[in-house]
Amino acid sequence: MIRAHGLTKRYGGKRPKTAVDDLTFEVRPGTVTGFLGPNGAGKSTTMRMLLGLDAPTSGRCTIGGRAYDRHSAPLTEVGALLEARSIHPGRSAFHHLLALAHTHGIPRTRVRQVLETTGLTEVAGRRVKGFSLGMGQRLGIAAALLGDPGTLILDEPVNGLDPEGVLWIRNLLKAQAAEGRTVLVSSHLMSEMALTADHLIIVGRGRLLADTTVERFVRDSGTGSVKVVTPAAGRLAELLAGPAVTITSDTPGTLVVQGTDAEHIGRTAAAHAIPLFELTPQAASLEQAFMDLTHDSVEYVTPLEGAAA
Amino acid sequence: MTGTGYRVTPARVLRSEWHKLWTLRTTWITLLTACVLVLAVGIAMGTTYDGDDSDVDTVVFVLFGTQLSQICFAVLGILVTAGEYATGMIRASLTAVPRRLPVLWAKAAVFTTVAFTLCLVTNVITFLVAQIWLSGSDKELTLTDDGVLGALAGSAAGITLMSLIALGLGALLRSVPGAIGAFVGSILILPEVLTTLPLDGIDTVIRHFPAQAASSLGSIERVEDTVTPGTGLLALALWAAAVLAAAALRLRRQDV
Repeated sequence: MIRAHGLTKRYGGKRPKTAVDDLTFEVRPGTVTGFLGPNGAGKSTTMRMLLGLDAPTSGRCTIGGRAYDRHSAPLTEVGALLEARSIHPGRSAFHHLLALAHTHGIPRTRVRQVLETTGLTEVAGRRVKGFSLGMGQRLGIAAALLGDPGTLILDEPVNGLDPEGVLWIRNLLKAQAAEGRTVLVSSHLMSEMALTADHLIIVGRGRLLADTTVERFVRDSGTGSVKVVTPAAGRLAELLAGPAVTITSDTPGTLVVQGTDAEHIGRTAAAHAIPLFELTPQAASLEQAFMDLTHDSVEYVTPLEGAAA
Repeated sequence: MTGTGYRVTPARVLRSEWHKLWTLRTTWITLLTACVLVLAVGIAMGTTYDGDDSDVDTVVFVLFGTQLSQICFAVLGILVTAGEYATGMIRASLTAVPRRLPVLWAKAAVFTTVAFTLCLVTNVITFLVAQIWLSGSDKELTLTDDGVLGALAGSAAGITLMSLIALGLGALLRSVPGAIGAFVGSILILPEVLTTLPLDGIDTVIRHFPAQAASSLGSIERVEDTVTPGTGLLALALWAAAVLAAAALRLRRQDV
């Protein structure tokens, strides 16, 4: 369990810049929680504060009930992947992990295990200098898994990964959560989070915009529009009209229907012998909903749902 | 998920830092270069000696190369700390050891041990090898002669503590070029500039500066215009302690 309460970070002296503004949230075990926001929203800063690398200006955060630096074996509590590379390029992958393992008395066999898990066994002896972005990410994840921690905090883990790597991360995160671990993963891509996460914490300009489930976000963001192409657009629109239904039309013969589903539209058309050339549910607006939400963060001072939900 | 005897202890942090030091190619190159330079210069001094430099202290004479190795050790000290900031490794190090200070102490301890041992061994070997050519001259001495071992060890201690200051500067400034600049500027050049100032007692003050204090340590006979070896060692140790304390303060307080 990760808890942040009133977490605030300001930089600079005379005209301070607020990177994280009074952030309060909880991340529960057993699910993947997506930490979502545009670039510069304060995700990385928040994660660094969780890990004790940055000190909050005010507020506090705990992992497993304690501040990160109060754990006697932090690597067994929290595994972290930071956005900025935190690996010496002159050291081999194996020795990088072993040096970290030594601080906790973690044996070599575990180092080999995580190398195997992340598919790095063959390059373990090579200096990190020659690693691709994706291999570097894998090594960062190997380091996060080293202490078999109950909590994972990963900052943009899919950055630089090929599609196979993205899928691997997705499955890894889901598997870790299924084992009862707490998983917090940041991203600036709604589409990626929709596939990976169960829960969403959305931030913009350092503020909490939403603390909700993916399911609810999808529902609330009104993605249920359906595109209909028909020669009898006017007649169909009349038939579909109702208090909860909105119908718009950009081009003649094309309707965008909100408030009802494709099945109902199809049956209505069939019942009245109206030919349909196209009947397409529009799912692409999830990303749009996210962008609308974060577009001008200042307007959204109230989260979609209670902050401490 | 919770540990099976896994926890951070000072001994484990030491082991980690020891491992980190030896798994970088730069460490081997820098240390090897330092030792070879001292030995090579020592051999050159021994083979070319014709009695002209008879007023120079014998240990100072055979260890002229330490002026070069000093730079190598100082650079390595800076890389040990500032190098982690340059590469971002520091974030991994401090995530593993979030109490932070043990990392700095372990780095200082590992580096001091390695540097002192290596300097001492190199000094002794260089002295013995140079004596092959110096026997029969007025610079013929053995290890057991009065003050020889003390001077060889003193030289090693001087280089080690100077490099420890460099390591502290690296941790304090968090930048490799910055720390190298600060080391060269404040430790090597600043005292030379200050001596030109017409101030009473400035010479006495400068004798306690790191490089000047270090120069009192590596000779059999007391060097002119320097403090006693005991005072020199104390002064140097205090400088190193002060820089490390400042570095510790910044490490404790500031975001990484």
